[in-house]
Amino acid sequence: MVKDIVTYPTPPSVNYSTDVRVVNEEIENLIQDIKDTIDANNLDGLAAFQIGSMYNIVVIKKEDASFLELINPRVIGASAEKITTIEKTAYFPGLSAKVTRDATISIIYEDRNLEQHSLKAEGDEAILLQRKIDYTFGSSFINKLSPDEKKRFSTKLEFGSDIAISESCPTTFNRDKILKVINIAMVVMVILLISSFFSESDKLWDYQLYTSFGVLGLNIIYFFYAQYEGAKYTSCTSCQIGNIIGTTIISLSKLTLIMAASYFLM
Amino acid sequence: MARLVVLGGGVSGHTAATFAAKWLGSAHEVVVVTPNSKWNWIPSNIWVGVGQMTAEDVTFDLAPVYAKAGINYKQAKALSINPEGKESSDKPFVTIEYTEAGREGENEEVEYDYLINATGPKLNFGATPGLGEGSQLGEHTVSVCTADHAAHASDELDKCIEKMKAGERQKFLIGTGHGMCTCQGAAFEYIFNIEHELKKAGVRDMADIKWISNESFLGDFGVGGLHMKAMGFAVSSKIFAESLFTERNVDWIIGAHVSKVESGKIEYELLDGSTGEENFNFSMLIPPFAGVGIKAFGKDGSDITDTMFAPNGFLKVDANYGAGAYENWKASDWPKTYQNPTYGNVFACGIAFAPPHPISKPMKSPNGTMIGPTPPRTGMPSGIMGKTVAHSICDRILKGDNAPLHEASMAEMGAACVASAGKGVFSGTAAAMTIYPVVPDFEKYPGTGRDTDYTFGEIGLAGHWIKHILHHLFMYKAKLNPGWTMIPE
Repeated sequence: MVKDIVTYPTPPSVNYSTDVRVVNEEIENLIQDIKDTIDANNLDGLAAFQIGSMYNIVVIKKEDASFLELINPRVIGASAEKITTIEKTAYFPGLSAKVTRDATISIIYEDRNLEQHSLKAEGDEAILLQRKIDYTFGSSFINKLSPDEKKRFSTKLEFGSDIAISESCPTTFNRDKILKVINIAMVVMVILLISSFFSESDKLWDYQLYTSFGVLGLNIIYFFYAQYEGAKYTSCTSCQIGNIIGTTIISLSKLTLIMAASYFLM
Repeated sequence: MARLVVLGGGVSGHTAATFAAKWLGSAHEVVVVTPNSKWNWIPSNIWVGVGQMTAEDVTFDLAPVYAKAGINYKQAKALSINPEGKESSDKPFVTIEYTEAGREGENEEVEYDYLINATGPKLNFGATPGLGEGSQLGEHTVSVCTADHAAHASDELDKCIEKMKAGERQKFLIGTGHGMCTCQGAAFEYIFNIEHELKKAGVRDMADIKWISNESFLGDFGVGGLHMKAMGFAVSSKIFAESLFTERNVDWIIGAHVSKVESGKIEYELLDGSTGEENFNFSMLIPPFAGVGIKAFGKDGSDITDTMFAPNGFLKVDANYGAGAYENWKASDWPKTYQNPTYGNVFACGIAFAPPHPISKPMKSPNGTMIGPTPPRTGMPSGIMGKTVAHSICDRILKGDNAPLHEASMAEMGAACVASAGKGVFSGTAAAMTIYPVVPDFEKYPGTGRDTDYTFGEIGLAGHWIKHILHHLFMYKAKLNPGWTMIPE
């Protein structure tokens, strides 16, 4: 019977590593359900936890479409060599993460007669088996991520999407160019203010006023454009919004200060 | 006047003897036969092993404590039990051999009305070639099983630290020295204390540290694993242990039976049948346990050891030894009263009783080598068993032979364990674990056989403080200082 696949945020079972002690009808049906669910969802393998059972069972669909049943599997030996790939899993639908794992592993497991076997796996098969066995021990690949990758993956989880998530935050933005123009304009205003001590011309106050309107306008443009630009990099939104608001307030404060000084002194 | 003889003065025997002496008063006699002159709080040996405590800190002389409690103390080892007496007398007795300075080798027959066998295990170093001879530790590795072993381990560790300071790289190999070991927790604790000490000494970058154990997955701890609570999340002990090892750059070999130890090298076999070798400069490998090898004789002098003892040398009690294969194991197989089925006045507690079968799933390599943790029977459960047996015997002595026996099954008992890394007040971290029940009850708790509400671990500094508190509390209690009966087992 095809079962619903357990997905995030259902937590992993705390009844983990529940070894199968007797292969009875319940276990045989469970293995069949896992196979049916793999076929229906076109997956490469499932752990029993992923269809809501606590038993320590993993079923893998091999390339020739036959199934490998692993009862009570354990990873015994691992190589010193590590391998990092982008992994996807049905527990986090639509999401992927960069996971580092052992390149080759040795596994012991039992068959339906509870006879022990061992197998060596490498490459994709080793990765798949490690990911599935993690589930039987109450974990998903989230515990295998590097601290940086974990942070990135948490954002993906929050937005529920892999798409439009850049690998990292850019350090320079287009909005910084607007900021540069604003700053130049304000330097000009300070020069106009100083010039007014040496010149009696009324024109200077007019220039000051027009420039200040320009700076105000640029600040408004900056505020909205920066947010539009920020939305493109969802992995770094929260810090950006604070940054944009702060930058705008500082810029407007400077403008107010210059204009107040200009009003009384010019 | 009845006489109760207690063989062994460890956690279990000491608890049984001291409670019995208190309950029976001076009207009856309690005799303790133990080859050691000192009592040892074994969990703190880990700190002795890294030089943070001395052997004196974790031991005290038994003689004055027993004198205070009115217990007849014989520093001797038990050789044999004659539960039916001998031809000239029906009175059962044990034969002991003194180990006390000045009386070495002297034999004595001590008659008893009731007998508690709480000898603990023989540290069976001899089971692995090169690990040692019989119960004697060999020259290639160190151990933290006794206070003296731990002090020796600390000296060896200091030598390695000196070498590293002189620029010589050192390899540390810590774990279990045989496929059928228990006490992985102690080795686990020791490896992290070593890592902590090396860091403190500023030589961590000169050391390669590796773990080798007979568990089938990291974080099994000999109890089949448990979930850990940390900052509101539940994570399996496997993931917890793996990340702890990875964080501290400690490598591991799992599912291993150490088959041979040589100078600076071990050979091992894995659960998948493959074999390997590992070099070391410093290695602490826990030995497997066995019975201490007490013989039993019938009235006519015939050897009845097989009747009283299981093949592994532990005393048979009210357990179901015929449970058969793993799938038939039940919680009810485990003993409740710890009474010998043949001789009703003989009991066993602590490590000395023969368990009906392992707790963890038995695992074998394709070559037929058994590799898997044997059931832990130490610490808290040992103390509880000792007190329960003492209670039963006191009732029989005071109320008559038909008094019901008290029960304490390991399938209804919890256990707590604290594994700490480092000893400082603010610098250490520890994993505190509680397990309920010790023996899984698959009928009551489908799945892992354990109550997941009470079976979990927590990580942090608090666990570290608990370990400190426990040390002082249990040393205080064992010395029978005022109020000792108030302190739980």
